[in-house]
Amino acid sequence: MLRLEDLSVRFGGLTAVNTVSLSVGSHEVVGLVGPNGAGKTTLFNAVSGLVKPSSGRILFDSVDMLRTPLHRRARMGIGRTFQVPQPMHELTVRENLIVAQRFGTGAVDARKIDEVLDFTNLTDKAERHAATELALTELKALEVAKALATNPKLLMLDEVLAGLETNGKRRFMGMLKELHEKFAVGILIIEHDIETISNLCHRVAVLNFGELIADGTPDEVFRDPEVMKSYTGASDA
Amino acid sequence: MYVSKTGLAVIAAAYVAVPLLLGSNNYVMSLIVAAMIIGGIALAWALLGNLGGMVSFGHSAFFGVGAYVSALLTMKAGMPIFAAMLLGGVGAVVASLVMLPVLRLKGPYFALAILAYAHIFKIIATEWSSVTGGSAGLASVPRFPELMGFDLSGKTGSYLIILTVLLAFVAAYRAIRASHYGIALRAMHDSEDATRVVGVNSTLLKALMLFVSAFMTGVVGAFNVHYINFLEPDYAFSGLWVTLPIVAAIFGGYRTILGPLVGAVTVYLVDQLIFKSLIPSGHQLVLGALLVAMIIFSPGGLMPLLRKDSRRKHAAA
Repeated sequence: MLRLEDLSVRFGGLTAVNTVSLSVGSHEVVGLVGPNGAGKTTLFNAVSGLVKPSSGRILFDSVDMLRTPLHRRARMGIGRTFQVPQPMHELTVRENLIVAQRFGTGAVDARKIDEVLDFTNLTDKAERHAATELALTELKALEVAKALATNPKLLMLDEVLAGLETNGKRRFMGMLKELHEKFAVGILIIEHDIETISNLCHRVAVLNFGELIADGTPDEVFRDPEVMKSYTGASDA
Repeated sequence: MYVSKTGLAVIAAAYVAVPLLLGSNNYVMSLIVAAMIIGGIALAWALLGNLGGMVSFGHSAFFGVGAYVSALLTMKAGMPIFAAMLLGGVGAVVASLVMLPVLRLKGPYFALAILAYAHIFKIIATEWSSVTGGSAGLASVPRFPELMGFDLSGKTGSYLIILTVLLAFVAAYRAIRASHYGIALRAMHDSEDATRVVGVNSTLLKALMLFVSAFMTGVVGAFNVHYINFLEPDYAFSGLWVTLPIVAAIFGGYRTILGPLVGAVTVYLVDQLIFKSLIPSGHQLVLGALLVAMIIFSPGGLMPLLRKDSRRKHAAA
């Protein structure tokens, strides 16, 4: 469904993503791991259209994304969350989802919005002001809810579990697993926690200094000494 | 569309009480009409600022283009005035098309670029003298006609026309703000990336708001030219057509729909009726000081201040 071919993103002299080739099949759950600054979020930004790749290709359902304007990518089925939650300011939770649904799918279906609210445990907060009246867990849930409201085929989750306490994390994990089944989406998830990744993902890709250094099942990848070196080295720092 | 009882009462008073009570006083009526002209531009300017997140110093261009288009269509093509006024608005939209490239710019860069663009139209109006009459301008632009024996070209008639125009603007603004486009535009304010990744074409939405704002300003410019019956480039494209509305909109509260109108009427009438008689020259100084005070003490302008007050009264009752 998503295929990156030799994708590079350079900012001036810095190569944030360096000739990365990677694919995510429909209904596949792929983990994207690597130390901070490895280029994971930049890769998300390139796929969703917020940054322009310097070279390489991004294909989504065989359509060239580099010729597809940012706003049309949501309509095609690319949904994402932001690491630092970005609720749409000035709007209520429900209005956030209405905007996402109306512009991400082209139609408004109140029942579907209620379903997403219910699924993300935000029904009680639906009329709350999104930017000021939500706790972190709820903001993270809203990130997922906004993406779901656009009816995505691919959901890119950027550290949705980070910063949550253990219980919240467990509940969120349950939600993500259920989401994969219920909404029939493929998932590309950035996450630091190895246990979470092993638990959730069919496949793991590892980025280090912008380069893809491993791509395989969680078992294979987390047994690779080079991966573990980059990984533990970074978490110690 | 929902209109509150207070709203209905104000509309009724504006249509009936104002003409009956003040209609015989030409001076006061002319001040009110002038205030409403400022108010119309202020509303259009604030719509672009509030919904589109853009600060424009170029609205005098739309005002002037609307005026010239409507004047020329009535004078040279014999078009009925009200049709020509609408086309004046359309002309302003066409003028705004050349401003589209600057929509990509943000904040002060947008403001500066649109200011530069505005100047182009003044030059065109001055140099293209075979059509526009050049710097000498156009004299005896057609006046508003009679309607069922009632002369619309007088102060009271003109007042009723601009009142109707403003009400239509308010209704349009309300409808846009309540629509999905309006919600998305509000969302774009502080979270443009988040809004774009869910599929909102932010450039298109901003462009649409620029068109609506230009159209409204063009119609007001067209109204003005038929009201005063002459036109010259320095007047039509004067910077005052944007600075006064900005003051009015900010004073009244540019994030509200009625704020710019209330601000324009308050600022203009208080200035002309009170400060001008107290300090004949330099009375604008007081306005400047008031505006600064307003920005410091109530950045949202007059409207939030009034609302807070009425809420307090309700709480006390």
